[in-house]
Amino acid sequence: MNDKRVKKWIIIFAVVFAVCIGAFMILRHLGMQGTVAVIRVDGEIYEKINLDTVTVAYDMEIRTEFGYNKLHIEHGGISVAEADCRDQICIRQGTVTEAGVPIVCLPHRLTIEIVGGDLDA
Amino acid sequence: MRNTRSLALMAMLTAVSLIVFVIEAQIPPIVPIPGVKLGIANMITLTAMLILGRREAGVILLLRIVMGSFFAGGVSGLMFSIAGGTLAYLIMCLTLKLFPEKMLWVVSIFGAIAHNAGQLAVAIAITKTSGLIVYVPVLAASAIVTGAFTGLGAMYVSSALRRLDKQY
Repeated sequence: MNDKRVKKWIIIFAVVFAVCIGAFMILRHLGMQGTVAVIRVDGEIYEKINLDTVTVAYDMEIRTEFGYNKLHIEHGGISVAEADCRDQICIRQGTVTEAGVPIVCLPHRLTIEIVGGDLDA
Repeated sequence: MRNTRSLALMAMLTAVSLIVFVIEAQIPPIVPIPGVKLGIANMITLTAMLILGRREAGVILLLRIVMGSFFAGGVSGLMFSIAGGTLAYLIMCLTLKLFPEKMLWVVSIFGAIAHNAGQLAVAIAITKTSGLIVYVPVLAASAIVTGAFTGLGAMYVSSALRRLDKQY
């Protein structure tokens, strides 16, 4: 009786786990169109960059009361090259090239999200 | 006697959870996804719920969150801890009586999911980036694994503490 209940919950969580992982994989590789990188610090829009118009790659430093991040901007993609946060998650998230999963640096309240359409979107 | 014992136990569990929390904060994240962590300190909250009671566990949790922000995390960490911790605590209080002790890991998973949901809500509120919602599935999946782990841990810790209690 009790064993059945245990089994039931193991199956429930296993299924939910598999579905969640699958859903995230799909979200990540959906290839949603987007060219404009929206950079936010503490909820305010810091900069919008149309990644399609970038021809020469360049770096951009963001220094705020929350910390320091160096972004690397290239044609079609954006990544975090340097950060003085403890976890370095933002750097390890790599280069984003399409709309979908945003880059986050929570300790610095920084997010980089690619959205579709023009700069006014 | 009963009060002195539980007070001493509460103090000890608070200290242990604080140490665990600070040490865990020093470990670099395993996967580059914000919000994914083991949450070992929750093992202590759960243990306290079992051997002391829900109210005592709430006190220990609150003390750990406040002091934890002094030693690791800081003010912005405090907001995340409060949101995640309170939500997890409430959900675990509600689900604790629904499952036998042998299934504490289920309660723990529900708590972990609530914790991650609370933290994600704060992250979206602070950064005003609604796109962070795509992290829901990974955070739920990670909560299932970490919640089961901390829940099983709490089962072992509480049974060990009870064995000790019988010996003295």
